[in-house]
Amino acid sequence: MNGKFALEARNVSKHFGGVIAASEVNLQVSPGELRCIIGPNGAGKSTLFALLCGIQRAESGDIFIHEHNVTQMQPFKRIRLGVGLTFQTTRAFQDLSVRRNLAIPNPNLAVYKEGHQRGAKRLQIALEGFGLDPSDDTRAGELPHHKLQWLAISMVLAGYPDTVLIDEPTAGMSRDETDRTTEVLKQLNAHGLTIVVVEHDMHFVKSVAEKVTVLHQGRIFMEGNVAEVTANEDVKKIYLGHAH
Amino acid sequence: MSSKILSLIGGDADVGTSRIFWVGFVIVVILFALYPTQASEFRASNVAYYLLNIPLGLGMALLWGYCGVLSFGHVAYFGIAGYAYGIIAGNMAGNSFGPIAGVLGGLLASALVAGIFAYFVFYARVREWIIPILTLVLTLLLETFLGQTAGYQWRVGSVLLGGYNGMTGIPSFQIGSFVFMGYSFYYFCMVIVLVCYVSLRMLVNSNFGQVVFAIQQDPLRTETFGYDIRARQWLVFVLSAILASVSGLLYVQWGNYITPSQVGLLSAALPVIWASVGGRTSLLAVVIATIVLNWVTFTLSAQGNQYAMVIIGSALVITMLFFPRGIVIMAAEWIGRFTNRPTKSTGG
Repeated sequence: MNGKFALEARNVSKHFGGVIAASEVNLQVSPGELRCIIGPNGAGKSTLFALLCGIQRAESGDIFIHEHNVTQMQPFKRIRLGVGLTFQTTRAFQDLSVRRNLAIPNPNLAVYKEGHQRGAKRLQIALEGFGLDPSDDTRAGELPHHKLQWLAISMVLAGYPDTVLIDEPTAGMSRDETDRTTEVLKQLNAHGLTIVVVEHDMHFVKSVAEKVTVLHQGRIFMEGNVAEVTANEDVKKIYLGHAH
Repeated sequence: MSSKILSLIGGDADVGTSRIFWVGFVIVVILFALYPTQASEFRASNVAYYLLNIPLGLGMALLWGYCGVLSFGHVAYFGIAGYAYGIIAGNMAGNSFGPIAGVLGGLLASALVAGIFAYFVFYARVREWIIPILTLVLTLLLETFLGQTAGYQWRVGSVLLGGYNGMTGIPSFQIGSFVFMGYSFYYFCMVIVLVCYVSLRMLVNSNFGQVVFAIQQDPLRTETFGYDIRARQWLVFVLSAILASVSGLLYVQWGNYITPSQVGLLSAALPVIWASVGGRTSLLAVVIATIVLNWVTFTLSAQGNQYAMVIIGSALVITMLFFPRGIVIMAAEWIGRFTNRPTKSTGG
């Protein structure tokens, strides 16, 4: 891991027609951090991920990965700097087997590949934690939703990134499945993986996050630790609701 | 090394991975090899025509089925290679090196046009649904251009382009003094088809092939694993254009002529139909469909039947309605279920 920040957005803005998706967003994620990004629907959380990875181009501002200015860089080049991304909708290759899915990000996949001990160890943690067999020939499209989501996370880790952006990892999962996901992500973070998670499930957020960023209408509304954020009256109004 | 090659050939990115399949495959190849001993030169020449179209069909399977890019104008590369061969070999008539120079020139011309076209398409990230239109426009432009080349002024060296009458008198292929005609041309086609099929099976089972199939499944997801999908799409497009060129070269060596209709709308639709009817995500399915549909078309046309294209079109409609993944693929799956053998039938 190089540089002061694993990921940084400086004054990043993006509009879709009249809709503000990101407005002067400033975000810094330190190496080894586990950050949650929360906000109501349409707050711009997924767009922020898309901007960080280059799937959407920022209209203004700069994006840095390990201090490299990647604002004009194609998505695949940003990924090669050590970033991994999962999408809001689970996007494993449905017609490929679990084994093939894991081999796409890393054709020379070996759990303890020399020179990639950290990345390989993290992959092993994920596979064991999620109960996935890297030699499984089951078609990904035949997996239940939660396993497909776990496969999608494991696929990203198979590329041995040092920073991952995970969009709603527990969407559609039962409480047990959510807890298992939480546990694995915490273990991965303990092994040095920088994790940025977009999530709605406050149980999950409270379980994993050191620091929470609240997005609202494309702007950073608040940043702080979980207790500060959940205690904030304005955050409750825009997102959590007074009942929480 | 040899076990690696065998695993690439026998991998599950195409139908047929069992020992029974490969025994059957070898038997079919032997039957094709023995066919000329039992058939007249005319009939062998007809079968050579079915065979020579296979590389074009395989190119379509690779590009559309495995990479997810539909080209409705791959016959443009068939035509460019054919015309380039005719011009080069025709101008070198009498020189035994002429046909080889024609083959090299045809492949090069085709690859060059495909490379430039594909560069602008993929590096500009043209939307997937626009690509069939662009490719069709390219081949129709080529047809229109070639159609107006009647007249003595439209010649390259001593070779007339011939307008809609086409280019005639194109030399057959030869190596040294040996000219490939009749039975020998049949075997020449057979060897080329085998080489193309086995090479492509290795390609689709390789790491490169698996990433290409991932692009077909989800381009954005593949790119976010760090792959420059534009470069891979470009390469697959050029490879498939070269395969179309191989068919174009064999075609002009077989018939010693080529006309603009070979790059026209009807011809452009045929490889798409072969791939759809057989099942575009299987190389073998497309090989079978190419042979069968060419046999149907050729036989009906030879009998003066006007409805050959109606029947081929109907086959496409029936396939789309009842066998959307292709008749051969769905038959393979059915056989797999019947024998309780799990059958993998697509690129993965």
